Amino acid sequence: MVAQRVDHKWGMVVDLDRCTGCQACVVACQAENNIPINTKDYFQQRRAYEWIRIERYWEGQFPNVKAKFIPILCQHCENAPCEPVCPVFATYHNDEGMNVQIYNRCVGTRYCSVNCPYTVRFFNYWEPVWPERLRNQLNPDVTVRSRGIMEKCSFCVQRLRRGEVNVERRGLEPLTGERIPTADRKLNYRQMKEGNYLPSCVQACPTNALQFADQHDETGPVKEHFDEANEQIETREHGGHVDESHTRVYRLFEEIGTKPNVVYLKKVEPFPVEKA
Amino acid sequence: MMPSAKMLPLMVAGGVVTVVVGFVLVVLIISTFSNPPFGLGNAPAQPVAFPHSVHVAENNIQCEFCHRNVTKGEAATVPAVEQCLFCHQNIDGTSDTASAIAQTEIEKVRTAFETDQPINWERVHRLPDHVRFIHEAHIRYFTDETIPVKYGINGEEIVESPDVAQTCTICHGDVGNKVEVQPKTGQSLKMGTCLDCHRENSVPTDCTVCHK
Repeated sequence: MVAQRVDHKWGMVVDLDRCTGCQACVVACQAENNIPINTKDYFQQRRAYEWIRIERYWEGQFPNVKAKFIPILCQHCENAPCEPVCPVFATYHNDEGMNVQIYNRCVGTRYCSVNCPYTVRFFNYWEPVWPERLRNQLNPDVTVRSRGIMEKCSFCVQRLRRGEVNVERRGLEPLTGERIPTADRKLNYRQMKEGNYLPSCVQACPTNALQFADQHDETGPVKEHFDEANEQIETREHGGHVDESHTRVYRLFEEIGTKPNVVYLKKVEPFPVEKA
Repeated sequence: MMPSAKMLPLMVAGGVVTVVVGFVLVVLIISTFSNPPFGLGNAPAQPVAFPHSVHVAENNIQCEFCHRNVTKGEAATVPAVEQCLFCHQNIDGTSDTASAIAQTEIEKVRTAFETDQPINWERVHRLPDHVRFIHEAHIRYFTDETIPVKYGINGEEIVESPDVAQTCTICHGDVGNKVEVQPKTGQSLKMGTCLDCHRENSVPTDCTVCHK
């Protein structure tokens, strides 16, 4: 029945060794989520909307230079600093481990964006506009945010909801195509997992640098990375020491205790740049 | 300081005026933001005077015969002109039982079909842009026989599984017996209405279930 829900905890693994900085995820995100087109002005005023962005770092001195890319999106923190500061509870943590922004509740205080250590929250300083020819490109599943409210990565929650309805309605296992018994077709069905529900950035990534999965799913493809990251958090909480030279798993700004649900894998450098 | 005897009636009158004006203002503000405005439930004028009562109550056409998508997807959809012609290429409203205006109205539909023009129906039930409502999921829930007890939109118990047409009346009222479609009397399409029903039926009330 509908009331029985399966616990999910969605998470993403970003393999920096695979990321080539091609920006396909950025484009996919802009198209999926009705994000206005960023102009030069927006960037100069530091008011550009990029729910996912590729940060680029240079390493070394010319001619011995290497570029490093880090895709940064909302980390969907367990202890999200943006949540307690919202006076109207427009942002909260839902039972699927997502940090959710409810647009029609937001009054635009911008406290959350000030408190976010990852700067992944974006404020609509203007009414969004698109060229006339892009009007039919807008995604009907996502609200167009008006001026004066905060927006951010939602892990494409609209795709999750649509996938849930598809599983319920058609009653087919998304991976094997087998028919699910009617009694088992419930909202948040266990089969709502990777393959059936992917955020647009993950779907667009040509090198599979971004991978998305349910952390509670024992058979998930990146389960071991989530496990290791959760282990690290527990070790740190109990005052233990994590040997970072033997693992690739880390989370952004782990030391401030936000417990992000996005896990990063370090880039492997077979030929490191010589330190001057 | 006690007011003098001269001032007393003046103050009483002022107080009465303040209370009356305030009351009127509060009523005006509340009713402006109600849905439909002022709670009148006036149906907008339609380009073709389509009587639901003739089609549903008299001729027993099922809701989902015209609103084809209602058991398949999000929007119930208004039928295309071609689908009206499915019956109305034979039915022209000249029979004895047909009302006086039937012939002219059916002629409008046929003209629209011949000139390839859509009929611009006016929307009666309008949800805000940031709300996701899936007709199919709600009909599937209410017609599901494995769920023993369901609760309607005002908390009334539904023990037997209704068919699709009865499910529609839970939110839309008795459209089948009305000439004009109007929002159900005293029923606003507000978030509280949705939440009450979701809580009664203990289905998810997470914000992202409806808000997008």
